[in-house]
Amino acid sequence: MIEVEHLRKEFRGVAAVRDLSFRAPDGAITGLLGSNGAGKTTTLRMISGALQPHGGQIRIDGLSLSQNPLQAQQRLGALLDHMGLYPRLTTRENLAYFGRMRGIPDTRLRHRIDEVLDILGLGALADRRTTGFSQGERMKVALGRAIIHSPRNLLLDEPTNGLDVPTVRGLRGLLQRMRDEGICVIFSSHVLEEVRALCDNVVVIAQGTVAAQGTADELCLRTRSSNLEEAFVQLTVPKEAIAC
Amino acid sequence: MLNQALIIARKELTDALRDSRSIISTLLYCLMGPGIVFMVSTTMNGKDGADSVLVGMMSVFVLVSAFSGGMNVAMDILAGERERQSLLPLLLTAGARRHVILGKWAAICCFSTASLVLNVVAFWLALRAHFPAPANAANSVLLWAAGLIPLALLAAAVELAISTVCRTLKEAHTYLSMLVFVPTTLGMFTVFFPKLAAGWGRIAPLIAQQWQVEHWWRGTGISILPTIASGVVTALLAALSLCVAARLLERDDVVYGG
Repeated sequence: MIEVEHLRKEFRGVAAVRDLSFRAPDGAITGLLGSNGAGKTTTLRMISGALQPHGGQIRIDGLSLSQNPLQAQQRLGALLDHMGLYPRLTTRENLAYFGRMRGIPDTRLRHRIDEVLDILGLGALADRRTTGFSQGERMKVALGRAIIHSPRNLLLDEPTNGLDVPTVRGLRGLLQRMRDEGICVIFSSHVLEEVRALCDNVVVIAQGTVAAQGTADELCLRTRSSNLEEAFVQLTVPKEAIAC
Repeated sequence: MLNQALIIARKELTDALRDSRSIISTLLYCLMGPGIVFMVSTTMNGKDGADSVLVGMMSVFVLVSAFSGGMNVAMDILAGERERQSLLPLLLTAGARRHVILGKWAAICCFSTASLVLNVVAFWLALRAHFPAPANAANSVLLWAAGLIPLALLAAAVELAISTVCRTLKEAHTYLSMLVFVPTTLGMFTVFFPKLAAGWGRIAPLIAQQWQVEHWWRGTGISILPTIASGVVTALLAALSLCVAARLLERDDVVYGG
């Protein structure tokens, strides 16, 4: 479970995230929905521990990220916007490197890599160097390295960007299986259909703060909208801008 | 947690050894000096002052090899990592950023030290007709332990610190290529103005090592205390450069390039 309370972050005096709070429970996919520049990526970077917040609290499975960063990060897997791989290493070697960095002993690591390759359908690419991999293949390897240590919480920042339809469907299936196993998944996107199809809870972020949260149906009901797109516009775009 | 630094160093070595273009380029840089000095030695054979010219040239190339040996690895290891967007995932797994710096520095050190060893061995093969091998084993141990190895550690640390602030491989290549001019220019200056190597010059990085190499090659002996002092100063500077690199890697604008 991931709990975020009153999170704040500024870049050169400009507030990117201000007083943002939400809770992502176990066994559910929580979608962070927002326009470009709304603060989704900054929020995910702070939850992952890559960015230091200027204020607020983040707890991962009850552990404070600021007080127990190592233990908290060990419970977290993250596939953020940086998906680079090591092109001179094979898929298996890329995964092994991150497994070792996460402290998995070599004897267990071999078995775990085979397991991850199997989950992601990467068996045929296991011993190929990652140079020249397609966008979808690269995303799968990056996801594999994020889950190599079997984290109980997973952060994904717009993971379907640039992927073809079969790969997106494969990823959705995988995330649903992880949710069914009780894993807490936070998934950011600005693609409304994707959020509707996948997420159990939606947190709408606008101008660095939470504009609304609930299930997709609850958001539609609250804004008296017939679909999520209309609800999203009602919640995030100022009324005078809608009138234009 | 030091274990993480070792894991990073091992991975970086494996990665760098598979980059054949970079290895060939490093080898060519490393053997260029002995090749040039060998040609000069054949044309100057028997002429007055030939030995001084050869030793002077050789000492400059030895300094340069410490920097050129790790240059390609240094630019790929951090600026390259940022450019291909694999730095952030790595930082999410590492306990402390100083471990990342330590691991990457260890990998660069292997290359800069190997380059120095290869360079000196190639000089010995190229110039053994002019200068019999320096026979004093104590001098040789002193030169390597307190002179040349600290120089390789310093070169690797400075290169890593520069690579840390560069956003792309191209940017790192530009700055690290300019860095190689420091030992080249300073070395040439000391050849023409040898008085620079007297007094404080005996413990100043680069100047001290050049003086040590020249005297070792001539077989005239190296003073123990100034050599050890220069080694300590050089190692301290390397440690300072590593601290700077680790501090830089804590900064958001350095990690994200924003």
